[in-house]
Amino acid sequence: MTTTKELWENALVELELSISKPNFNTWFKDTHIVRIEDGSVYLGVPSQFARDWLSTKFHKDILRSLRGLSESVRTVEYIISRGAKKSSDEAARIVPPPVTELALEAVHAKTNLNPRFTLSTFVVGPFNELAHAASQAVIRKPGIAYNPLLIYGPTGLGKTHLIQAIGNHFRLQTPDRKVYYVTSERFSMDYVSALQAGKVQSFKEKYRQYDLLIMDDVQFLAGRDKIKEEFFHLFNFLHDSNKQLVFSSDQHPNVIQNLEDRLKSRFAAGMVIAVTPPDHQSRLAIVRTKAALHNVLLPDEVLEYLATTIEGNVRELEGALNTLLIQFEMRDTPLTLNDAKTLLRGAGAAAKKAVSVQDVVKTIANFYGVEEASIYEKTRRKEVVRPRQVIMYLLREDFHISFPTIGEKMGGRDHTTVIHSCEKIKNDLRGDSILNQEIHQIRLMLK
Amino acid sequence: MKFESPTDQLLKAVSTAARFAERRANLPALSAVLLVSEGGRLTLRATNLECGVEITLPVKMDGDGVVAVPAGVLLGFLSNARGKSVTASLSGELFKVESDKVQASIKTLPHEDFPILPRVSAEKSFTVKASDLMRAIRAVAYCASTSTIKPELQSVLLYGDAGKLTLVATDSFRLAEKNIVLKAGGSVPQLLLPARNAAELMRILEGASGDVEIYYNDNQLSTHIGDVYYTSRLIDGAFPNYRQIVPKTFSTEAVVLREDFSTSLKSLSVFADKFSQVSFAVNPAKKAITLSSRNPDVGEQISTIKATISGEDLAMNFNGRYLADSLQAIAGDSVRVQSNGPGKAILIKDAADETFFYLAMPMNR
Repeated sequence: MTTTKELWENALVELELSISKPNFNTWFKDTHIVRIEDGSVYLGVPSQFARDWLSTKFHKDILRSLRGLSESVRTVEYIISRGAKKSSDEAARIVPPPVTELALEAVHAKTNLNPRFTLSTFVVGPFNELAHAASQAVIRKPGIAYNPLLIYGPTGLGKTHLIQAIGNHFRLQTPDRKVYYVTSERFSMDYVSALQAGKVQSFKEKYRQYDLLIMDDVQFLAGRDKIKEEFFHLFNFLHDSNKQLVFSSDQHPNVIQNLEDRLKSRFAAGMVIAVTPPDHQSRLAIVRTKAALHNVLLPDEVLEYLATTIEGNVRELEGALNTLLIQFEMRDTPLTLNDAKTLLRGAGAAAKKAVSVQDVVKTIANFYGVEEASIYEKTRRKEVVRPRQVIMYLLREDFHISFPTIGEKMGGRDHTTVIHSCEKIKNDLRGDSILNQEIHQIRLMLK
Repeated sequence: MKFESPTDQLLKAVSTAARFAERRANLPALSAVLLVSEGGRLTLRATNLECGVEITLPVKMDGDGVVAVPAGVLLGFLSNARGKSVTASLSGELFKVESDKVQASIKTLPHEDFPILPRVSAEKSFTVKASDLMRAIRAVAYCASTSTIKPELQSVLLYGDAGKLTLVATDSFRLAEKNIVLKAGGSVPQLLLPARNAAELMRILEGASGDVEIYYNDNQLSTHIGDVYYTSRLIDGAFPNYRQIVPKTFSTEAVVLREDFSTSLKSLSVFADKFSQVSFAVNPAKKAITLSSRNPDVGEQISTIKATISGEDLAMNFNGRYLADSLQAIAGDSVRVQSNGPGKAILIKDAADETFFYLAMPMNR
C-alpha cells in the first residue's frame, strides 16, 4: 500500500516524461494529493489558473498515470489549496529594520486563534499536567473525551495558551471543520451589537456553526442576564450536537458569583481542571525552555535565581526573563548572577512587601475564621491548631524566619514544635488539594 | 488568419496586454500575447498566472485563427509603427505585420500551451465607481510589503459593508486605509488582492468612467472594464486585525499646509542618510514644525513650517519617504498630523477628508 504522497510522486515521474519540461514545471509544481475518497483523487493545486488548465489540458494524462499506478482510481478532482506550498525563504533571517513595527497581530481571522500558541511550546509540570493531558485527550477525541472542558486557575499560568493550543491543533488536524476562539467579553460585545443591529438570528447562526468553540474568561459572563441566557442556549445546542466546548475561568465555576446553577452544573458536566502556580522545578524548566527558544544560553545560577525569586506567575517569569535577554543581546558579555540581581531588582524580590508576623497571623486567622488571640494561646483545639501550623509554615517558607524566632512569636513555643508543624503541613500539602488551594489563596492575600 | 486595425487602437491593447505577460517565463507561451480572431473580433490575452487580461477589439478580418506572439517584440514593433493602420497575417510559424511600408515577420510561440483565463461566476459581486476604486488603490497600494515572507501583507485588503468599501495595505511599518462608496454588493468579505495585481487593475481603471462591477469567489477576482476583462488570484490568508492599533486619542495634533509639508520633505530627502531619516519636531509654543535631515557625506538641512498645534511638544525620527508617501493620497490643502509621543505611531490625514488615513511608525534609533 503506497501513501498518497508516494502515489503522486510516482505519477509525476510518469507525467514528466509525457509532458514538455516547461509545461511540467509551470503546472505541476506545488501540486499534491489532498485526499482520496471512493476512488476520487482530490488534487490540490495552487490557483484557479492551475485548476482550470490542468483540468482541461492535462486531465487525461493525469488520470491515465494515476490509474496505471492504482486501479481503484476512478476520477480526479481539482481543488485549490495552498497547503503544500511553503516558500523556502521563510526561514531566511531578515535584518531588523530601523523602523519600529506596528503591533499587528498574526491572529488567524477565521478562527481568531493566535498560531503562536501550540502544545509544543507549552511547558508541562506537576502544576498543569492534568490540564495538559485533558487538552490532548480533547484534541484526540473532540466532542467525546471531555465535553465541556473547563480549565481554571489564577492569571498568568497558561490557560489561554492551553485552550488556544487545542484550537490550533484541531485546526491543523481537521482543516475542514470549524473552530473559533472568543473571549467572553468579545462574545458579549458581539451579542450587544447584533441586538442593536437587529441581527440576533445571524449571531446565533454564527456561533452555532462551530465544531469547536473556545471561550476564554467565562467568569465575565456572570451578572449579564441576557447574555447568559444566549450563552446557555448556545451551550445546549453545541453540546447536544456533540460539538466540543472548551472554557477557561479564573475560578472554579461553583464559586463564580452571580452564575446560575444551571450554568454551573453545565460547566461541571464535563471536566473541570485547575492549573496551580508552578513549583520550583517547573519554574526552572520554564525559564530553561523559554531561554532556549530565544537561542540564549544563560548560566545555571541565573536561571536558578530567576526560578527562586519570581514565584507564582508564569507571565511574570517570562517578563523577568525577557528583561535579562534584552540586556544580554545589548551588551554581548555573559550575564552573571550579580547582573541578574541588579537587573531584576524590583521585579520579584521587591514584590514581597514587608509583612509583619502580626499581619500574617491576622490574615490567616481571618481566613480560617478563628480569633487572632487564640493563635497565641496554648489551646489545642483542632480549629486553631491547623491555622497555627499554616502560619508557622508560611513564616518559615515565605519569610525565612528562624524556627526559634517563630516559636517565640507564636506565644513562646519550643522550636521543635515549629519544626514539627512545618513538616506536618509540608507532608499534608502533597496529598491535600484543598490545603494547597488554601495556602495559595493566603499567599495571594499576603502579597 | 488576417486582420487590419487602426495602429493606435492595437497599440493601446497590446501595451496593456504586454504588462500581464511574464517576461522570464518557464513556459514560453506565457511571454506571449495570444491573438484570437473570430467572428469579426480580435481578442488579445496575456497572463503571468497571477493575474490575466483579455481585450476585445473590433477589426476588419479575413478568416479566423489563433496565434501566440512574443509580447515584447510585438509591442516594440507597434510603438514605432508610423502608419495609421496595421495589417497582420499568419503564414506558417511567422506572424507578419505591416504598417506604412514597414514589414516585420515575428516568430510565433506554440499557442496550444497558452492557458485559459479563469472565469468567476457572477454569484458574488460588488459595484463601485471606477474612478473611486482607482484612487483608492493608488491611496493604499504603495504601503503593501515587498517581502515574500507574509503574502497577506503583500496584498491590498478589500472589504465592505453598509455602503462602504474599505481598502487597506500595510508592510507593518506603515499602513494606509481608504474608504469609498460601495454602490451595490451588500457585505463584501475580506479579499486579499496581491498588490502588484492591484496596481495593474488601477492602470486599467485609469481610463474608465462610470461604475465597475467586481466578481469574486474564494480564490479569484474578476471584472469587465469596457472591452477589457481583468482577473487576478486572491491570496488565502488572514490580514492582521489592524483596527485595534489605530489610535483614537492623541497627545499632540498639528495641522499644516500640504504644499509646505510636501516641499520640505522633498528638499530634505536630498540630505537624508541611507535610512532616509528625517527628524520631526512639533513645537506648540512657536506654532511650528521643524524638520531636519542630516547626512555626514552631504550636509544637513533644517526647515521650519508653520502649523496650528494643540497638545504637547513632540520630537521623533521618521523615514522621510514614509511621510512623503502619505501625501500623494491627500488632495486637500491641509494635512492633520496626530501622535501620542515618542515611540508611538503617527497618524496623517487630509484635514477635510475622513475617508483616508495613514499610520507610520517612527524609527527606533
